[in-house]
Amino acid sequence: MSIAETPATVETPNKPKPAVESPLRRFAAEFLESRVAAGALLMLGLIISLAALAPWITPQNPYDLAQVDVLDSRLPPGTKSSSGAYTHWLGTDGAGRDLVSAMIYGLRISLLVGAASGLIAMVIGTVVGMTAAYAGGRTETLIMRVVDLQLSFPAILLALMLIAVLGKGIDKIIIALVTVQWAYYARTVRGTALVEARKEYVEAARCLGLSSARILFKHIGPNCMAPLIVVATVQTAHAIALEATLSFLGVGLPQTEPSLGLLISNGFEYMLSHKYWISFFPGLVLLITIVIINLVGDQLRDVLNPRLKK
Amino acid sequence: MLRAVRNWCLAVVVALFVAPATAQELKIGLASEPSAMDPHFHNLTPNNSLLSHVFERLVETDPSNKLIPGLAESWKILDGNIWEFKLRAGVKWHDGSAFTADDVIFTFERAPNVPNSPSSFATSTKGKTLKKIDDLTLQFSTPGPYPLLANDLSNVLIVSRKTGEGAKTEDYNSGKAAVGTGPFKFASFTPGDKIEMVRNPDYWGTKAAFEKITFKPIKAGPARVAALLAGDVDIIEDVPTADIERLKKEPRIALSQGVSRRVIYFHLDQFRDETPFIKAKDGGAIKNPLRDKRVRQALSKAINRDAIVSRVMEGVALPASQFLADQFFGVSAKLKPVAFDLEGARKLLAEAGYPNGFKMTMHGPNGRYTNDVKIIEAVAQMFTRAGIETSIETLPPAVFFSRASAGAGGLPEFSFILVGWSADTGETSGSLKPLVGTFDKDKGTGSANRGRYSNPALDAMIAEAQATVDDGKRAGILAQAVEIAIDDVAIIPSHYPINTWGTRKGLKITPRADEYTFVMGVTKE
Repeated sequence: MSIAETPATVETPNKPKPAVESPLRRFAAEFLESRVAAGALLMLGLIISLAALAPWITPQNPYDLAQVDVLDSRLPPGTKSSSGAYTHWLGTDGAGRDLVSAMIYGLRISLLVGAASGLIAMVIGTVVGMTAAYAGGRTETLIMRVVDLQLSFPAILLALMLIAVLGKGIDKIIIALVTVQWAYYARTVRGTALVEARKEYVEAARCLGLSSARILFKHIGPNCMAPLIVVATVQTAHAIALEATLSFLGVGLPQTEPSLGLLISNGFEYMLSHKYWISFFPGLVLLITIVIINLVGDQLRDVLNPRLKK
Repeated sequence: MLRAVRNWCLAVVVALFVAPATAQELKIGLASEPSAMDPHFHNLTPNNSLLSHVFERLVETDPSNKLIPGLAESWKILDGNIWEFKLRAGVKWHDGSAFTADDVIFTFERAPNVPNSPSSFATSTKGKTLKKIDDLTLQFSTPGPYPLLANDLSNVLIVSRKTGEGAKTEDYNSGKAAVGTGPFKFASFTPGDKIEMVRNPDYWGTKAAFEKITFKPIKAGPARVAALLAGDVDIIEDVPTADIERLKKEPRIALSQGVSRRVIYFHLDQFRDETPFIKAKDGGAIKNPLRDKRVRQALSKAINRDAIVSRVMEGVALPASQFLADQFFGVSAKLKPVAFDLEGARKLLAEAGYPNGFKMTMHGPNGRYTNDVKIIEAVAQMFTRAGIETSIETLPPAVFFSRASAGAGGLPEFSFILVGWSADTGETSGSLKPLVGTFDKDKGTGSANRGRYSNPALDAMIAEAQATVDDGKRAGILAQAVEIAIDDVAIIPSHYPINTWGTRKGLKITPRADEYTFVMGVTKE
């Protein structure tokens, strides 16, 4: 008796539903339809894991001054270091840092800054945008004029001024980038939320007497996610490029802990003397990173936008 | 037909744009822009260098900074306190009036009193009383014997009383008052773009070889090199070290190099019991280790000067042993650069009670001296290897210097800094007095002593040297004073930069120790 019962009890909760696909799975299938996007996603995963595992996979810790020797500076790709401890496959920079190691560590900073500033800006922008859309009236006008004002400033100029006031350091760069970027999110969310707020389900929720906050975050919020995710990918790529620009201009990070932008800037002055590798390889990595994030973002937009659905 | 016309038009256009600048015209790419055309507004290398083309001094200096007659034909010391200068006869201002002793007297009244001057010429003019004997004879008297009087005069450009009376800095910038006696006449000054001058056909000395000269400030090193390679300029100053190797191979370009009268060195906080940027390895507070001579010696030994010279400066510098390179007046012949000795440094640190070292933040300017940031970074590596965990912070030069001289509370803010010093007198008292003389505003000693090192015996020697008129004797005293300061590790010298100028083939420029770029020193080959 008990033997006969057991399979039945196991089967009930796990019953497969072949007819109805889960939305997530459908989304994944649609996303992977494009080979390019699938490849980009794979590359992105690879880059993120490279950056995350940096201390364990790089031959040298480029931020530990005791491991870096100025006597090994500007070695061309493939040279052995003077101590014989490393082979610099992509050469060394002006301070003697192994470029492979410095680039992976630099990537770490770039991704960290991009992701952190993107996430914080998204949260702030979403809250502000939804508040504007829901509150309407004067509040909305006020918020949206602030957003307009913010968007009318060139991002790089605003970031430069902020860094000048705040000083150097990763946390300050993140603050500057969040300040520059929250407005994009706010504007997107407000637009979407305005459309959503007029739909029947919101009216229904209102009739049920649910609180504004609940309607805002439980009902309207999730329905604004699709465009938000698209903006987030584009803005993250933008944040990475912006961080590189700031570092290139020498206002971002300490000289001894270069990110990709600072590495490019360090090598810039050697370009005329044919020591191409110091700028070239970090530049290439930066380019690839930004392109694949944008590719992933493009495909997300295609999949999430109902109007582009076949 | 149409084609022929088109080709002809094209040829004209090409000829117009590609035609090389006539040999009569010279374009110079400057590394930094002068802040004014007023020769007394700002005592700054770019200003002094550029304005030397329009204005002249009583006493000039040759490329190695030895004194030579300028507007003064000759001078003699009447007694220790009075010097008599014979002015050159027949010198005309650009407006045609004659140059006389009155102009010199006017200059010495004006120079220390220019409003809003960021750094004035008061140090060169103060303590001197001028007395006109006749139109071409002047007496300078000082309260006590002062052997550097002629050196001081070699800093002050003479302006005309006629045009200078009541003239403001703006009048010099516009050209209204920019009337000198020099080989070139001022033509125009467009801030951020260019400064133009034309030949003075009535110059009293050797007339200039160029009809017209244009100075273009091009701040970025690679851009300056690119402008030279493209033929936009004929001469550039301060060739970036990274490009020297490559330009040497370039057949269209010639380089000129000369040792600077500058020393790049480290100043150490030697006056505070606890210094703000040095902590124990665990981050706790410790007593200022830099007050211990053994620690200072260890730091000096930990610096691999040869590596800095060969790798960071790419060969265009000399390892430094003292305040000025060997060919200058008043240096010690005994001193040699401290040899790199990592084991010795560690041993000295252990003896001083820091077997595990300590944590330190080194400060410096970014973009004031050739490769400054890279030097700081390299030295931080060297210190870290010796056990002193060093982090670095580089600041924009203006911010750095104001905080390094007088930060919070009016005291030097940092613990360990990289700085440079150019001895504008061209001899060692010009470095000893401001850098290691006891800080004393009233006496004017230690004006740039950001480590506040103080040694009464050394002060006495500097004062003695300054009152010794006999050159041989004075050189001996100065050399001894230098030895005391270096033995005490009052500063840690790193290197003497070698300055590099680039010219297009066919031109040659004489390198100057004071880093001035003089068209008068340019010759056609």
